[in-house]
Amino acid sequence: MGSMEQGSVSCNFLSAKMAKVKRVIDDARDTQNPELDLVDKGIASFEEMPGLFALANITRLSLSHNKIESLPPAIANLEHLEILNLFNNHIEDLPTSLSSMPNLRILNLGMNRLSKLPRGFGAFPVLEVLDLTYNNLNERALPGNFFMIESLRALYLGDNDFEFIPPEVGMLKNLQILVLRDNDIILLPKEIGDLQRLRELHIQGNRLLVLPPEIGTLDLVGSKSVLRMENNPWVTPIADQLQVGVSHVIEYIRSETYKYLYSRQMAAGVPPPPPISDKSKKISRKKEN
Amino acid sequence: MSSSREVRSPPAPKMKGLEQSFLYQRRQMAHAQARELAASNARTPLHEKDFQAEFDKIQEIMNEVGGVTPLPKTPRSFAPNLAPPWQIRSPQAERMRELSMNLGASECSRCHEGFEPNEKVLNSNGELWHPQCFVCVQCFRPFPEGVFYEFEGRKYCEHDFQVLFAPCCGKCGEFIIGRVIKALNANWHPLCFRCNMCDKELADLGFIKNAGRALCHECNAHVKAAAIGKHICYKCKQVIEEGLLRFRGEVYHPYHFNCASCSVELNSDAREVTTSRPGYSANQVNELYCLRCHDKMGIPICGACRRPIEERVVTALGKQWHVEHFVCAKCEKPFLGHRHYERKGLAYCETHYHQLFGNLCFVCNQVISGDVFTCLNKAWCADHFACALCDTKLNQKSKFFEFDQKPACKKCYEKLPIELRRRLKRMHEEQAKKGSV
Repeated sequence: MGSMEQGSVSCNFLSAKMAKVKRVIDDARDTQNPELDLVDKGIASFEEMPGLFALANITRLSLSHNKIESLPPAIANLEHLEILNLFNNHIEDLPTSLSSMPNLRILNLGMNRLSKLPRGFGAFPVLEVLDLTYNNLNERALPGNFFMIESLRALYLGDNDFEFIPPEVGMLKNLQILVLRDNDIILLPKEIGDLQRLRELHIQGNRLLVLPPEIGTLDLVGSKSVLRMENNPWVTPIADQLQVGVSHVIEYIRSETYKYLYSRQMAAGVPPPPPISDKSKKISRKKEN
Repeated sequence: MSSSREVRSPPAPKMKGLEQSFLYQRRQMAHAQARELAASNARTPLHEKDFQAEFDKIQEIMNEVGGVTPLPKTPRSFAPNLAPPWQIRSPQAERMRELSMNLGASECSRCHEGFEPNEKVLNSNGELWHPQCFVCVQCFRPFPEGVFYEFEGRKYCEHDFQVLFAPCCGKCGEFIIGRVIKALNANWHPLCFRCNMCDKELADLGFIKNAGRALCHECNAHVKAAAIGKHICYKCKQVIEEGLLRFRGEVYHPYHFNCASCSVELNSDAREVTTSRPGYSANQVNELYCLRCHDKMGIPICGACRRPIEERVVTALGKQWHVEHFVCAKCEKPFLGHRHYERKGLAYCETHYHQLFGNLCFVCNQVISGDVFTCLNKAWCADHFACALCDTKLNQKSKFFEFDQKPACKKCYEKLPIELRRRLKRMHEEQAKKGSV
């Protein structure tokens, strides 16, 4: 008797939640509102959002702070979608169809449980902003075409598990913002110097000793630029310059002295410093724990 | 081409002076005070009391020259050889006449009868008349106001004279007294015969028949030049056969000008040099130089094509440019006077400047036209400034946190895992410390 009552309560709760979500979707359909907000609604699955895929004309879908575990391939049917925000969910897998969305410009998959990306993920035709902050990604989790998203102007990879960044990163010719904060990066490729439009580079909280001198060719110290590089085991000359400011670091790595130091450092094969932070408590790992 | 032929009408040697014609006087008055001649003729018709003074003068002249027909002094400058009409009816004048003339030997010029001793006698140009005999030969009525016109020895009143002898003006249709312009198979008042295009009086200038119209020489030249596709010099109004010179928006024969520098007479190679002076339009201060002086003057050289700039000069980026060579460094389209943006020695159009150097909205990646939110090294359209984590709209009053240089609303920030918030907090503190150092 008691357990039955318990069950009916939870069922009522669930239907009340779904009714709320349904009302939002119905409203959007009735008012032709192209922007749909379903933030923090306790949604665990797309099945809890009946009628969502009938809203063929929506341009923005915000599903942040839910408990969604997977994205159905049918998401690609929302072909007018330009902004898809799935920040802070429980997503582990992405459908391949996601990359074919013809109008998707901004994709936020931050704070999920992604350990890999599907094959062909880099096929987005017009993607401009890709946020993969706070997942479980590393260089081995990236598909071969990841850096072929030529339209990309901002790539957020902070709070992941990268040790290296593939040299193909240099193919992102339109990239203006690259965030690699709080990974385990040991070495940056010199191809970062090819990103001539880069004006924001976040590499703080990694295991970097040196910077490729090619970074000196970028405009990262102007009034419209950002360079964050604290919390790295920098070689002493860089650490000393950093004390005075990032502009001094850039000036220093442009010098012949530094180019010599860098070539010697590369040749010496200095073993990488050990990881500095314990990431086991990240919520993106919760399932493993 | 034909030329005007002037005749005097009527051809009789003796004719009433024009000043006696009321019609003419009315027209003269109507035709403008501007003409001094007309003004002087526009005096009111002579009245009897004025005659006395005139008569005295006539007597004086008669006494001096004897038998010669006296000419009254009139201010008229034309038709001077016409004998002026004269008649006296004032009793006072008649009395004087009686005293000075031998009446016994006199007879009336019309009926050839003598005069009774107490009879009134009229004298006109030395001829004597009975008052009843001094009438219009056509209507046999006295002359209104004493004015008559004489033709072949006969005297007519104004009305009958005009009806019988005066030509009609081809323009105004009124009788013409005095000077008649015969042209284009019609008669005209001198004031009525004007250029069909510019309305200039043609009586003394001559005219040219053009397609049935009378034109002045200048207008005819214009019409002719337009027909053969040539220009008319703005100064001498003649056709420019070859080698014209444009100056301050008009077209001239080059030889009307001299070089502003060496004073040589110009040819069509001369150059108009644009100068600018505050408060003047370029056309008002342009100068002409011969080609030699022009080339020596340090003509601006285009920063793009390295060739001299002879027309409009654009000055920008410390250089001078042909209008069509001053272009966006990105798309290479000329600005053509539109706004440009300079950066690092290069000029850009609005779109490409923003695309390359900011003020593109972080969300829509379009140039921001309205209000702008600028922070975190980025810019947003007012409508697109929102929390990066949940897309909730933010405004000036919203509190937000920085997360990888993106705005995060308070609600979202508080949902971040504690260990991340701790790291972010530590990072911010370090930055703040550094900033204060």
